[in-house]
Amino acid sequence: MSSGAEGKAKNRRGLSGWLNPYHYNFERWAYVFQRVTGVAILAYVIGHLGDTSFFVGGPTGTGPSESSWTFISGLVENSFGHLILILVVLVVIFHGANGIRLIVSELGLILGRPSPIEYPYRPKSLRSVQRVLIWVAIALALVGTGWAVLILFGGSI
Amino acid sequence: MKELRLVVQKFDPFSDAAPRLVEYAVPRREGMTVLDALLYARDYVDHSIGLRFSCRQASCGSCGMKINGRPRLACYTQVDELGAEKVVAQPLDNFAIIKDLVTDLGSFFQRHREVTPRLVRDDAQEQDHPTGEYLMKPEELSRVLQFTYCIKCGLCTSSCPTVATDERFPGPQALAQAYRYTADVRDQGGAERMAELDGTHGIWRCHFAGSCSYVCPKGVDPALGIQLLKRHVMSGRPPHSKDDATKVWKPAEKQQ
Repeated sequence: MSSGAEGKAKNRRGLSGWLNPYHYNFERWAYVFQRVTGVAILAYVIGHLGDTSFFVGGPTGTGPSESSWTFISGLVENSFGHLILILVVLVVIFHGANGIRLIVSELGLILGRPSPIEYPYRPKSLRSVQRVLIWVAIALALVGTGWAVLILFGGSI
Repeated sequence: MKELRLVVQKFDPFSDAAPRLVEYAVPRREGMTVLDALLYARDYVDHSIGLRFSCRQASCGSCGMKINGRPRLACYTQVDELGAEKVVAQPLDNFAIIKDLVTDLGSFFQRHREVTPRLVRDDAQEQDHPTGEYLMKPEELSRVLQFTYCIKCGLCTSSCPTVATDERFPGPQALAQAYRYTADVRDQGGAERMAELDGTHGIWRCHFAGSCSYVCPKGVDPALGIQLLKRHVMSGRPPHSKDDATKVWKPAEKQQ
């Protein structure tokens, strides 16, 4: 057996196994989105710490020079920057609300109890309150995003 | 007669460099299962298709495979229910391929054994030579009944995104069985069982994607069992008291 064939024979999916929710249930999509947004939020927070710490002192204080200030401000204060911020609002609210759903679910509190199965069968854990809460997380994220759009593109509120 | 396009992933690790998809034309009929289609292809078109099956009635768990992208039992999946012109059969993900659609379930069974999937008694003498029958109330039985239906087909473990990336994770099947025995009032081994599973590569690696419950053909709902195990750990209370297991029905001659 060649080494390449040996790897293929092992057949463990690796990253593609959890990144691809296609053919699976709604919770699997939420799972993938939760993990991807988690990484995205971490990347954003690191970048955000960088750019906000840059402003400490301001253009007239002991901080960055006026040209640097203008350059960094220019990265955020435009339509593209605002779109990124709106995306951040979307994923942060979803990630937070869905995270609360997961914490409560993983305590086994909103999944229902084991029970004798009846056909046509649908798993109890996948038709319990937790599934409704995924929709609640999506709704909250969309409402928050709408609000962010109004603030960033709709003038002052 | 209408024809079914049956695509089978063929791969022999000893002779092939990479898996390949081979298409067969199979006469389609009403009520035909995917296993029927595969057996037709093997018997009349290509004798070399590697295929494992036994009971043909979703009892043995031998014919688990990925059908049109989702783990299913070939004997329990009708071609018509797939609603597709083409049926694609591939081996289960996350299991080593022996040949074509046949996967190696050895490590999977080992994971099952590692959670002590049996009733454990504190008293070693009682364990080996029980003095009578242990009793359960109907409501106590309903707490574990659906988890006893597991046929160890491997579909849940194949669908699990954690198993895909963590080789040390026991997988939904083993964890669901850990719940099944730990929640059984006749069992006294919950603490020892959970000591093994309450760790980095145990129950806490499950993030409730729920795919295991989605693909289970027997209604086991492993995701529910795993979350209930977490609940028992977090609450600090076992699923039942050790005293629950003291109700023993003894044959009449022994009761005197």
